[in-house]
Amino acid sequence: MNEEEIRHIICAVRGRPESRATVTHAIDLALKHGARLTFLHVMDAEFLQHATIGPLSVIYEELNKMGQFAMMILCDRATRRGVSEVGYVVMQGNIRNQIDQFVRNSPADIIVMGKPKPKTARSIFRENEIRVYIHQLEEQANIRVVQVDPDSVNQKPPDKL
Amino acid sequence: MNSRFLRALLVLIVIGVSLALVITRAHAQVETPEPERVIIGQVIDQQGQPVEAAEVMLKASGQTNPIAEASTQPDGRYTLILPSSNPISGSLSVDIQRAHFKDVDLELDASAIKDLRLGETVAMPVITLNRQINLAFWIATLTFVIMLLLIAADKLHNTLAALVGASIIFAFSYSSDLLGEGLFIFNFQGALHYVDWNVIFLVMGMMIVIAVVERTGIFQWLAFVAYQLSGGQAWLLVTILMIITGVASAFLDNVTTMLLMTPITVQIALALGINPLALLMPEVMASNVIGISTLIGTPTNILIGSYAHISFNGFLVNLTPGVILAMLGLTIYSQFAYRRELQVASEVSPLLLEKLSERAHITELDHLKKVGWVGAGMLILFIFGENVHLVPAVTALMGATVLLVWIKPDIEEMIEAVDWTTLVFFIALFIVVGSIQEVGLISMIADLIARLVGGSLLLTMLTVIWVSAIISTVIANIPFTAAMLPVIGYLSTIVPGAHSKVLFFCLAVGSALGGNGSLIGASANMVTAGISERAGYPISYMYFIKKGFPALLITVGLATLWLILRFLVLSPPPG
Repeated sequence: MNEEEIRHIICAVRGRPESRATVTHAIDLALKHGARLTFLHVMDAEFLQHATIGPLSVIYEELNKMGQFAMMILCDRATRRGVSEVGYVVMQGNIRNQIDQFVRNSPADIIVMGKPKPKTARSIFRENEIRVYIHQLEEQANIRVVQVDPDSVNQKPPDKL
Repeated sequence: MNSRFLRALLVLIVIGVSLALVITRAHAQVETPEPERVIIGQVIDQQGQPVEAAEVMLKASGQTNPIAEASTQPDGRYTLILPSSNPISGSLSVDIQRAHFKDVDLELDASAIKDLRLGETVAMPVITLNRQINLAFWIATLTFVIMLLLIAADKLHNTLAALVGASIIFAFSYSSDLLGEGLFIFNFQGALHYVDWNVIFLVMGMMIVIAVVERTGIFQWLAFVAYQLSGGQAWLLVTILMIITGVASAFLDNVTTMLLMTPITVQIALALGINPLALLMPEVMASNVIGISTLIGTPTNILIGSYAHISFNGFLVNLTPGVILAMLGLTIYSQFAYRRELQVASEVSPLLLEKLSERAHITELDHLKKVGWVGAGMLILFIFGENVHLVPAVTALMGATVLLVWIKPDIEEMIEAVDWTTLVFFIALFIVVGSIQEVGLISMIADLIARLVGGSLLLTMLTVIWVSAIISTVIANIPFTAAMLPVIGYLSTIVPGAHSKVLFFCLAVGSALGGNGSLIGASANMVTAGISERAGYPISYMYFIKKGFPALLITVGLATLWLILRFLVLSPPPG
C-alpha cells in the first residue's frame, strides 16, 4: 500500500478523553493524504439487558443520539482543522463484530484505533487479544490497521505506512 | 245445633289445641340443639406475633383421632367446636402443630372439662410456640444468602437469581414427603401468602404511565431548558439538573429517570467541554435522595408503604422536609467535590448547540398534555384516596387505564412496555424472603436487634438508619428492604414509641440513601455508569465510593437529624 492509495480513513473511537490521541492521529492522516475521514462509534448496550427496566427502544434511541453527538463533536474538530470530507457512523451491538462488519463493507484503506493501555480493565481489548483481532481484520477485510498509543497526544503521523 | 253438640265440639277443639301444643313443644324440644361445647384460644410466637395456620386438635387421653380440629386464623385465634355426640369423659388435651415450631400439648384442667360438660365455652390461655431450627431453616437461609450474593456479584440477572431461589425453596418443600419432613418450608399456597400484590399492581400501573411519559421527550427537553436557564454556568447547571432529576424521581422510577437523563446530560457536558461525570454523579445521587419523598418514588418506598400501610401523604409529610435538608447538603457537597471540573466549561460551539436544541424537543406534545391531566388526577387520588380507602395500586392501575384509553397507543406495544422481568423479580423475591420469615430467621434477627438496642427508640432509629444505609451499599436494597420489613414490624411493636411507624421511615431513608455509597448500591447508579462508560467516561467502583460515600454520610446524617426532630422532638412518644 502506498500513500496515493489512501483515500478513506476510518477512525474507530468511543469518544473518551483517551481517544484524543487516536482522533488527532486520524485527522493528521486525513489532512496529509487529503482523505475522507469517517468516525466510527459502536454503542454496545448489552449492559441494559442486566438492568430491570422498561421499554428498551426509547433508551436505545437515546444512546444512539448520544453516540451521534459525540461523533459530531469529533467531526466539528476535524472540520475546524481543515479536513474537507468528514462524516460519522454510529452502530449498535457487539463492538468487535460491528467494526468487523463495517470495515468489510467499506472501501476504507486504513482504520485508526486506540491501543489498549496495559492493565486497564476498561479497555475493549486486552493487549494479546487485539493483536489477533488486528491480524484477522487485516487479512480478511484487506485493510491496514493503525494503532495509536493514548499517551502519545503529539504523535506525528508516520511518513510511510 | 244443640248445646250437647256444641260442648262436644268445644272439648274436641280444646283437646286438639292441647295436643297440637304438646306435639309442637315436643318437636321444638327435638329441634333445640344441645348447648355448643366450644374451646377458644390464641397462638403466638416468641415475639408475641400471632401464628397463622397452626393445626389445633382436641384429643382425649389414649385416643389418636382428635375429637375436634381447627386452624389458627391470621390473628392467631382458633375455635374448637366439640360434636354433641361425643361424650366428654376422662382427660382432654389441646395439641398444636405448626411447621417450624415445636409441638405443644396442653392438658385441660378439671374445671375446664367440667365447664365443657355443662356446655360452657372454655377459653384457653394464650399459647406460645417456640421456634424449631431444622434443616429447612438452613436451606431457606442459605438460599437467601446465595440469592443476595448472585445479585450483588452480578452473576445472574436479578430476576433469574430470585427465581432460582424460589425454585430451590419449592424443590425442597415438595420433596419433603419423600426425603423427610424436616425439609418442608412451605407449599405453593403458603408461598403466595407472602406475595404482596399491592406492590405488584402499583409497580405495573406506574410502568405503563412511565412508558407513555418517556416517549414524549420531556426529559430531554427539561435537560436542555436546564442548560438554557443556567446560561452556560456549570455550577448553576448542575444544581438545576439535580432538582429536575430529583423531582422526576419522586414521581417516576429512578432507573427510568436516569436512563433518559444520562444521554442528554452527557451531550450537554460534551458541548460545554466539561467532564460529564461532574453532572451525572450529582444527578444520580439527587435521584436516590429525592426519590424517597413519595410512596411511588422508589421501589423500597412502595414495599414499605404497602407493608406498613403508610399512605402517599405519610411519606410526603414525614420525609420531604428531611429530603430537602439532605438535598441542600448534597448540592453544597457536589459543588465542592466537582469544583475543578465545573470551572473548566468552555464556550459552546454554535453548531453543536443547534444540534442539541434540535434533539431536545418534546416529540409528542398531545400525549404529554394528556399525561399531565392524568398525572394530576393520579396525584389527587394518591393524596386524598386514603380517605375512601383507595389503595395506591388501584390509583396507578386506573391512571394507566385512563391513559391507554385516551391516548389509544398500540396496546401490544404498551403491554410489552411493562417490565415483566421486574414484576417476576418481585414475586420470586417475596417468596424467597417469605421462606426466611417462615422458618424463623427474621424473628431471630429481630430478637437480636431488640436485645442490642434495648428499649431505646433513639438507639433503634439510629441502628435502623445507619445499618440499612451501610448494608445497602453492598447488597441490593430491594431484597434487603423486603427482608427487613417484618423485622421492623416486630421492633415497632416492642420498642416504646415506635408505633408511629418511625422505624419504617428510618428504613426508607437508610435503604435508599445508602444507595449513594457505592456503584452497586442502587440500580440507577449502575445504568448511569453503563451509559457513561459507553460515552467514554467510565465510573469505576472506587470512583463511585470516593465521590458517593461522603455524600452518603452527609445526606443520611441530615435525614437522621430530621427524623429525630420530627419523631422525638416535635412529636415525642407519650410517656
